[in-house]
Amino acid sequence: MAENKERGSLSDILNDSVDSEINEDEGEEVTAAEVLERLEQAWLNEKFAPELLESKVELVECMLDQIKEMEENLKEAGKGDLVGSLHRLEIQRIRYVISSYLKIRLKKIEKYAFHIMEPSNDKTDYISRLSAEEHVYAKEYCKNVEDLLKSLALDDMPPNINSLDKKKSVPQPNLDSYLFMKVLQPQEQVELDPDDQPTDLEEGAQHLVRYSVISSLLENGAVALT
Amino acid sequence: MDPSEVDFLSEKQHVKILPNFKEGRIFLISGDLGPFEPGLTAEVPLWMAVNLKQRKKCRIIPPDWMNIGQLEERKDEEKEREYFTEMPSKSYLELASLLLKSARDDIPHADEVQTLIKDIWEIRMAKLRKSINIMMQEKETHARLDNLTHLEINSIRPFLTSALDRMHILRCNVVENPSTGTDY
Repeated sequence: MAENKERGSLSDILNDSVDSEINEDEGEEVTAAEVLERLEQAWLNEKFAPELLESKVELVECMLDQIKEMEENLKEAGKGDLVGSLHRLEIQRIRYVISSYLKIRLKKIEKYAFHIMEPSNDKTDYISRLSAEEHVYAKEYCKNVEDLLKSLALDDMPPNINSLDKKKSVPQPNLDSYLFMKVLQPQEQVELDPDDQPTDLEEGAQHLVRYSVISSLLENGAVALT
Repeated sequence: MDPSEVDFLSEKQHVKILPNFKEGRIFLISGDLGPFEPGLTAEVPLWMAVNLKQRKKCRIIPPDWMNIGQLEERKDEEKEREYFTEMPSKSYLELASLLLKSARDDIPHADEVQTLIKDIWEIRMAKLRKSINIMMQEKETHARLDNLTHLEINSIRPFLTSALDRMHILRCNVVENPSTGTDY
């Protein structure tokens, strides 16, 4: 039952993004190729970062619009058409990136659902990193899991142990996990380790560091995960 | 990351092809390509080159570093240098293995090229293992790994990152409880 519901909301999320309008309010001209590049980087960052990153749903929506438009144009092209088939191949590649990106986020949302939805527990406001659809999904997921735990076990427990202490029991991302990153914009005097001398990060250099020391650099796009 | 995704990323890079068909510019989402004229070289992403090759629509021109002379030079340089040399492509092995698989007839001396690239890979992986060993012995908490390619990073990622995560937990425990601490 719960599973059906989850699947329902997942497809809702995907459909909603197709329907919603293209979002170009950033005030800068970007080509589709640049959007695709940013989306691919967002995909890799999300893949390697231990915690949920800021949602890049506007890139996803922009690409979905592009795909839709392209598919519209391709309707006239026959099966054996060379150019049409190349376009279709490209669309498949972009679709893969989009769905992988959304799936990675959903996996993180499910894994850390209570941590994300608990507003007071730490300095990062994860709720603001969710897209509208993801927020609905996370809320429902939390409620379903909590209801399930209650009806399955907690309600049958003696009163002194029949409540859920979310602060103690929920999984949290390991922000100290190691990862590989490359420097996109040079940075001066970054503390890669509290006991060590600060290091300058040169453009194009690659480092193996803990996520926590570079998370703010990742947020403003000075480094990328690789 | 799954190795197939490393391949997927490498397929974005552009290679030169010699088409045998005529076509105007193609306006892909990732950029415009063409025009294509039989006998005139054109640049396309690797995924497209391989697809066209499979349909016998083009010959792929191997990148200029993919010949015995250059590869032997690179191999010697890789052996001599202490650090990793910069490879001609961020995904030289993926590119080479894909071309050797799908367009072997377009690469002169394919067998030798294959052996040389495998040699370079092995020299680099040995270097990588050695540097990890040094990193562990020196108890470094971070490392700089310039010029390492995607596939090389990916091949050590699962082991190295989880081992370092563990060591970090141990190290934090020692800082919190110095009296019980041993070497770590």
